[in-house]
Amino acid sequence: MSGADTDGARAFLDRAADRMVDATAIERIAIGFASTALALALGSVIVAATGYDAVEFVTSLVDGAVGSESNIAFTLRQSSMLILAGVAVAIAFRAGVFNIGVQGQFVVGGFATSLTILYFAPHLPEGTTGGVLLMALGAIAAMLAGGAYAALPGLMKAYADANEVITTIMLNFIASGVVYFLIDEYLRPAGTSAPNTERFPEYVELPRVVFDSPSFSVVGLGVALAAVVLVAVFMSRTRLGYDLVTSGHQQSAAAYSGVDPGRTVVTTMVLSGMVAGLAGAVFAVMILGYYSDPSTFPTFGFDAIAVSLLAANSPVGVVPAGLLFGGLDAGGQYIGFTTDVPSELVDGVVGLIVLFVAAPELFRMAGKRAWLGGDRE
Amino acid sequence: MSVADYAARNRAGIGVSAALVVLAVVLVLVYEIPVAELVTVGAAERAIQAATPIALAAIGGLYAEKSGVFNIGLEGFMIFGALLGAAGAWIAAGEQSPVTQADLWVGLVAATVACALMAVVFAVLTIRYKADQIVAGLAVWFLGLGFGPFTASVIWGGVSSPSLPNIDNVVVPVLADVPVLGRLFFDASPLVLFTIVLAVAAWVVLFRTRFGYWVQAAGENPEALDTAGVDVNRVRYATVIFSGAMAGFGGATLSIGLGSGFTGTGVTMVDGRGWIAIVAYLFGNYNPIGAYLASFLFGSMDMLQIQLQTVGVEEIPGSLTDLFPYVAVLVVLTLVGYTRMPASVGEPYETEE
Repeated sequence: MSGADTDGARAFLDRAADRMVDATAIERIAIGFASTALALALGSVIVAATGYDAVEFVTSLVDGAVGSESNIAFTLRQSSMLILAGVAVAIAFRAGVFNIGVQGQFVVGGFATSLTILYFAPHLPEGTTGGVLLMALGAIAAMLAGGAYAALPGLMKAYADANEVITTIMLNFIASGVVYFLIDEYLRPAGTSAPNTERFPEYVELPRVVFDSPSFSVVGLGVALAAVVLVAVFMSRTRLGYDLVTSGHQQSAAAYSGVDPGRTVVTTMVLSGMVAGLAGAVFAVMILGYYSDPSTFPTFGFDAIAVSLLAANSPVGVVPAGLLFGGLDAGGQYIGFTTDVPSELVDGVVGLIVLFVAAPELFRMAGKRAWLGGDRE
Repeated sequence: MSVADYAARNRAGIGVSAALVVLAVVLVLVYEIPVAELVTVGAAERAIQAATPIALAAIGGLYAEKSGVFNIGLEGFMIFGALLGAAGAWIAAGEQSPVTQADLWVGLVAATVACALMAVVFAVLTIRYKADQIVAGLAVWFLGLGFGPFTASVIWGGVSSPSLPNIDNVVVPVLADVPVLGRLFFDASPLVLFTIVLAVAAWVVLFRTRFGYWVQAAGENPEALDTAGVDVNRVRYATVIFSGAMAGFGGATLSIGLGSGFTGTGVTMVDGRGWIAIVAYLFGNYNPIGAYLASFLFGSMDMLQIQLQTVGVEEIPGSLTDLFPYVAVLVVLTLVGYTRMPASVGEPYETEE
């Protein structure tokens, strides 16, 4: 009985993946643009309907995203995080594994970075050399921790057929709770009440080039773009990458060509978790400079799902999608400061984008009606 | 069915129960927890209350999935339900006057109807426009996380509502004085009682009526149902709308049925209960009564923290006991992961005309 069931589950994923890659590249880009435009338009309508000024909403949104040098730095900072986390999601979704746990892997990765930096700092020379070494060690620790934490739901899916959407969401809650507990119980410096670790040494920071911002460095964006290139090359130019994508596209075909489906799922999750962990490392070093209660962190790991879906799960497509969402995020927070419109509206707009991206058929039918003269199906 | 047959068919269920019992015994021994003081009537009462919103969403989700649509958006519908229940009651009461029992019922009904309408949109997208069910379900969650707190801000100027009353208990004279059962069932929230009745009714409808057979056929063998002259998609619309309505009702039950208003901070007050509801019906093997019992298990996990505090176990901090329901979900899913899902889940059905 068990064999037939896994087949059923696999066929289900096959079909889901098929539909996602059904669209041609141009069509996907068009759907992405249409979804974003429609979601923003609907957002403006909601703004107007709830008695706010829709024009002010849109101009503030744009102003917050690109209105000044510091706003651009903030947009790029959010974009760097969303691109990294988006690539993590894209690896998994491409391979037909719904890793919703990027947020948890990101939290665990950043925590591993923080532990590593705080532990090794007294043992290494101070100054730039020590800083670079600590950041490198921290990044490696983050990737190991993120990969290991993602292996868990991978193993549970591969060998116990546990639905990864649910296990990864549960592991998000658990990561957040356990990291909070460890910081509050063991890492909080004596005499303080906030659940924060000690600050990292001053020399552990990314260089301030181009933008003079305390929480954004072009190097962080560089790390994100390097990850994009590496993952894109890996997916399209290596045997293992090819196998992963084939499994996502058509599991039965991959199995016939000798790919072990269980191992593929675990490998996919580990790779995805490693990139998510790296995102955590960048977050800890570039943005925070210490570690804190994860429930107060931005939800990059969730927004990354929208980024990846908008990019049709293409690692390269994640770059423009990440820039767009970084801008939306920065603009949304700016709206919260400068207008009466509650900033949560932008989260809702993100939800609308995902909803529209989920239903490409909607646009195809609308497109047919509009351009082919409203003929019925 | 003999005991041996039953054991053979429910191997996983028994395995899970055994694992949980072992885990519990280890914890009890390590922390010297006074067990007798943990299991009190009050604990059972709180566990049943905690189980109620989860069970409502689980029973709805079960119907949708049985008919072939995986409504992964339960969490999102619950958030909307929690918000709209509180908002409905608040608006019904008017700006100045206090919220009365009648206003609360208006809120519950409003949340249920509004979520049913939202589920219509979800159903049209997934059934008619063949939207990817997992992605569309995630979208509902995102929409809830965004528009839930947004709407709260529009109404109350902050992401949470002010403190609101909840639905009064129904007290049956005389019977309420019966020890244990009296407090659990004859001095209880009508919503708790309704949910128990609903679980039984949902079982009867699913396994003993013609509509129930249609639901099962729509998920297992839609072609056969179509051949028999029943519109597969109409059955699926019905179950998906029902699942949205029940999740919304469950959310409203959480905020104003049993709770004290809407909280929109973080991942909102729903806090993963919609996801747990999905696991509850998987663990219950698509049986509404099983789903209710699984919800009760998760509900009691949720309440364990309060119990441990009352008996004075301080070694396990609250930040960890809070995680018990999530860990329980992982254990359950790993051991019962292979629950047989209906053959045609996730597959849009097209008639062959």
